[in-house]
Amino acid sequence: MLITDDSAPFQEAYRQLLAGTDQPDWLRSQRQAGMERFTDLGFPTRRQEAWRFTDLEQLTAQPRLPSLDGAPPLPADLLEPWRLAGKTHRLVLVNGRFDPALSAIGTLPDGVWLAPLAETVLRRPDVAAMAFGADGNAFAFLNAALFTDGAVLVLAPGTVLELPVEVIHYSAGDTQVSAHPRLRVMLGDGARATLVETAAGDGNGWTNAVIDVTLGADAALTHVHVQGEGADAAHTSLLTAELGRRARYRTFAFITGASLSRRDMQVTLSGPGAVFTLHGAYLLDGGQEATLAVRADHKVCDCRTEEVVKGVLQGAAHGVFLGTVAVRPGADGTDARQLNRNLLLSPSARVDTKPELEIFADDVKCSHGATVGSLDEAALFYLQARGIDPVTARSMLVAAFAAEVIDAAGLEGEVEVLLRRHLARWLGGEGGLG
Amino acid sequence: MSDVTIAERPAAGPDDILDSIVQAEGYKYGFFTEIEAEEAPPGLNEDIVRFISAKKGEPAWLLEWRLRAFRRWQTMDPPDWAKLNIAPIDYQAASYYSAPKSLKDAPKSLDEVDPELLKTYEKLGIPLGERAALAGVAVDAVFDSVSVATTYKDKLGELGIIFCSFGEAVREHPDLVRRYLGSVVPVADNFFAALNSAVFSDGSFVYVPPGVRCPMELSTYFRINAAKTGQFERTLLIADKGAYVSYLEGCTAPQRDENQLHAAVVELIALEDAEIKYATVQNWYPGDAEGRGGIYNFVTKRGACRGHRAKISWAQVETGSAITWKYPSCLLEGDHSVGAFYSVAITNNRQQADTGTKMIHIGRNTSSTVISKGISAGRGQNTYRGQVKVLSAADGARNYTQCDSLLIGKSCGAHTVPYIDVRHPGAKVEHEATTSKISDEQMFYCQQRGLTAEDALSLIVNGFCKEVLNELPMEFAVEAQKLLAVSLEGSVG
Amino acid sequence: MVNILEVRGLRARITGGREVLKGIDLTVAPGEVHAIMGPNGAGKSTLSSVLAGKPGYEVTAGSVLYKDVDLLSMPPDERAREGVFLAFQYPVEIPGVNNTYFLRAALNAGRRQRGQPELDAQQFLKAVKEKLKLLDIGDDLLRRAVNVGFSGGEKKRNEIFQMAMLEPNLALLDETDSGLDIDALRTVSDGVNRLRDPGRAIVMVTHYQRLLDYVVPDHVHVLADGRIVASGDKYFAAELERTGYAHLCDAA
Repeated sequence: MLITDDSAPFQEAYRQLLAGTDQPDWLRSQRQAGMERFTDLGFPTRRQEAWRFTDLEQLTAQPRLPSLDGAPPLPADLLEPWRLAGKTHRLVLVNGRFDPALSAIGTLPDGVWLAPLAETVLRRPDVAAMAFGADGNAFAFLNAALFTDGAVLVLAPGTVLELPVEVIHYSAGDTQVSAHPRLRVMLGDGARATLVETAAGDGNGWTNAVIDVTLGADAALTHVHVQGEGADAAHTSLLTAELGRRARYRTFAFITGASLSRRDMQVTLSGPGAVFTLHGAYLLDGGQEATLAVRADHKVCDCRTEEVVKGVLQGAAHGVFLGTVAVRPGADGTDARQLNRNLLLSPSARVDTKPELEIFADDVKCSHGATVGSLDEAALFYLQARGIDPVTARSMLVAAFAAEVIDAAGLEGEVEVLLRRHLARWLGGEGGLG
Repeated sequence: MSDVTIAERPAAGPDDILDSIVQAEGYKYGFFTEIEAEEAPPGLNEDIVRFISAKKGEPAWLLEWRLRAFRRWQTMDPPDWAKLNIAPIDYQAASYYSAPKSLKDAPKSLDEVDPELLKTYEKLGIPLGERAALAGVAVDAVFDSVSVATTYKDKLGELGIIFCSFGEAVREHPDLVRRYLGSVVPVADNFFAALNSAVFSDGSFVYVPPGVRCPMELSTYFRINAAKTGQFERTLLIADKGAYVSYLEGCTAPQRDENQLHAAVVELIALEDAEIKYATVQNWYPGDAEGRGGIYNFVTKRGACRGHRAKISWAQVETGSAITWKYPSCLLEGDHSVGAFYSVAITNNRQQADTGTKMIHIGRNTSSTVISKGISAGRGQNTYRGQVKVLSAADGARNYTQCDSLLIGKSCGAHTVPYIDVRHPGAKVEHEATTSKISDEQMFYCQQRGLTAEDALSLIVNGFCKEVLNELPMEFAVEAQKLLAVSLEGSVG
Repeated sequence: MVNILEVRGLRARITGGREVLKGIDLTVAPGEVHAIMGPNGAGKSTLSSVLAGKPGYEVTAGSVLYKDVDLLSMPPDERAREGVFLAFQYPVEIPGVNNTYFLRAALNAGRRQRGQPELDAQQFLKAVKEKLKLLDIGDDLLRRAVNVGFSGGEKKRNEIFQMAMLEPNLALLDETDSGLDIDALRTVSDGVNRLRDPGRAIVMVTHYQRLLDYVVPDHVHVLADGRIVASGDKYFAAELERTGYAHLCDAA
């Protein structure tokens, strides 16, 4: 086995983390396998096509290792901006560990399992075991080795969960620690749920999450991801989703936080008639860099993918969109559309976009579009001619550009309100123009 | 009513297309000419590089340049990022120089050209005799690695236009060659360019002096004839300030069971207010239906708009070769310079193509247009790979890219890989791509009007490619349409 | 004289799907104009599609003789070259293919089949001009790509123009009046009337009576649920206008 310099500190942390703990055998071997694969692969490098635009130097220059002790208690109002209004099932993790004080899972209907991963390991090892897939990237393997906790949501067939589930991971403290939360979502045939997965924080840690979604036939999941980590934080997450027959997976990625962030989404449409929709926005400023890398893999016929992702880049920010739609042989009747639009608002900002099609079936309709530009001068002038000052005018246009993608997503209720609130905060706050 | 037009381009009329379909009989350029050739022994080392340079009587600086390239090449790996399945190539098995023997002392005029060679070019439809010239087209023919004849030299010479073989340019115009060779594609730019720089044997050279508008199309026809040889030609084309030139390039090769390597380099330099149009119809032998044989076409083409308001346009119709790896690109250095790339690439049977362009916006208010049409049939794999890069000084840069893919049949693949990298807020970049299969409704509509399935397919595909075919000079547009029909043979059931 | 069309007991279904034509009998003699009317979903368009050989339908029983020859055994392009013309309800757009160029390819394909010499550009242009004049339509359609960006009326006019150029023995007009305003309907109908010819038969499929005010048929048939349930002369259409289809459909 090749021992790279990059992985050595993590191996040491791994030994310390597990020393003296009581792990079931299956879990110990899962962790071991994860550590071995990570050690094998090492940190991704820019020589790898999928990572050529992502600068991981801040992660490799100084390793951010998992903390061995829990985080100090947090004031409850710290979470206030991140919470959904109204009643929810809420599960909060702080620095990778379940925080019962901040959580409010509430009463769950029959056929629903929602619990921290660590608790699930103890009480329902059969369910917990399903939280570990064989595939992943280097970071996902590191997560498998080092995770301390996470969340598991399972719905029995036909179950409809009325209240949204909130899973909030909060990264606290300035000690450059890493956390490796793991989230597993399984919806049985015909089950329906709404999930808001938030990564927030005020520290300079590294959150390295793994999210694994499985949807049975006719199941429907609305999944909103909000990434609002601290300005010096790093965030990586790998989401894998597998969609059964006529399953509907509707997801929104709202990315404003961290100095370095990358969200990988690998969505496999493996049941005929499955539908995947992604709406997303990355709103970046300062020296932020964010990557959204989405692969929609059409394995069978009559599936649909629709992606609309927008970027707003200010300061010296760098936004990256990597979108691949793959259509396997025999996946006839595929209908896939992909759109990435970017607003570049400053001379130092930068966008890389690579919307990719990989098609091996002939009865398909696939298209993609990408644009990069600045604000429409004519629109700016029009607003000014109506007496609006230039700063406000710009702000209005940027707001409209970003809000469009929220409109297009067609979300309902408090989930939509939450996204509009986050957008308003970004526009008006440090990242904003006004 | 007299203004009714039959077709947007009269020369590419319906007869031509229908005729070509009727006459279509597979790869018709697959003949082989028996000519005594002088070949270098197989293999590649510094001695071979010296041998080639000595054969051509080159000056010391050029030998040094070649050796520098060779040494760099030895440290490089072949690129592996393209979506291509390439069997390992034994670079020591090929011969890097083959010249028809009777041309050893270079023909002084066409009368001295080996009659067999002239016949070969007649078969290709390229008359070299000045009397039978394609109206208004000056031709330079490169057979295996050696330029065999250039037409219309005198007429061009009166305008100060230099159009000759690369070897002659080295002898007659060393200053120009030395100034520009490798200035757009450096010796170690990539694996294949480095290989070419080390062993290139001939090619074409064009220089159009300031303010001169070249009155005729310049054309080079490339032909690989000998077995087990690679062809490594080098084209250098300079349009001085305010000059204009349109250049055509065509390629064929005989049918052989083994793969042959073609690794060319083309460098274009457009100075202030100059304009270069460069068109290629690439019809190298594609291999047979099972994928045996065929040319590996690994080509580096790049143009630099070195002055303000310079324009470079690439148009290509890629129907041949077993594997195509090719990205004609534009470096838009001068302010207000303009780059364009128009491409039709078709892959049938087991052909693979990974082709596209790079538009690098460096100067202010530079603009570029990319129109790519990919057609996949049989088991063909077709990838568009293109980069649009706007650097931080390129205020006002504009790019519009459209790539459309058409799929014919269940076993082919169409892939689109655009890279868009923008570092200036004043830029506007738009990219659109679509992939769809040939429409059953369109096929039935054409058939209901009496066209056979093959005719209908050819017609629809030609329509699909129209925007690109319109960018080709007339002579080429006709040939390109015929080639599309031939290339699609057997792809409708 | 040999009939242009003899349809006997024709049954057809959508490939792998439901049966749409459930036993059609229809005889059309040269020079006749037949109108086939009926409610939506009766199988009117299927009948014209099956006669033209559109893929996606399966003939399960019956026969079709076209000038005494088995029509159903011919591929669609051969039927077209033998003189069967379908004016599409929704003419198809073919980007990049010039309209005139397309027409010349079609015309010469038919001429080759009949052993006639192909028309060169000059002869073709002459024929184009004659037909344009005959139909009183401008030449603006000729420069554009086949049906691309045409209005509904332009598309239908273009179909009739193609019919004039290809001079079929049997013209099937599938809902040619749909989507036309009154002026366009008049232009198209005038065109069809000028193309009436003792050697040519025309079968018009339509949902509405109004086309028949302009192109007066010799025979009118009502198609309901895959069968011809009533036939009559030109006055029958006007009667149908008053009474509607309902009572006939119930009978079916």
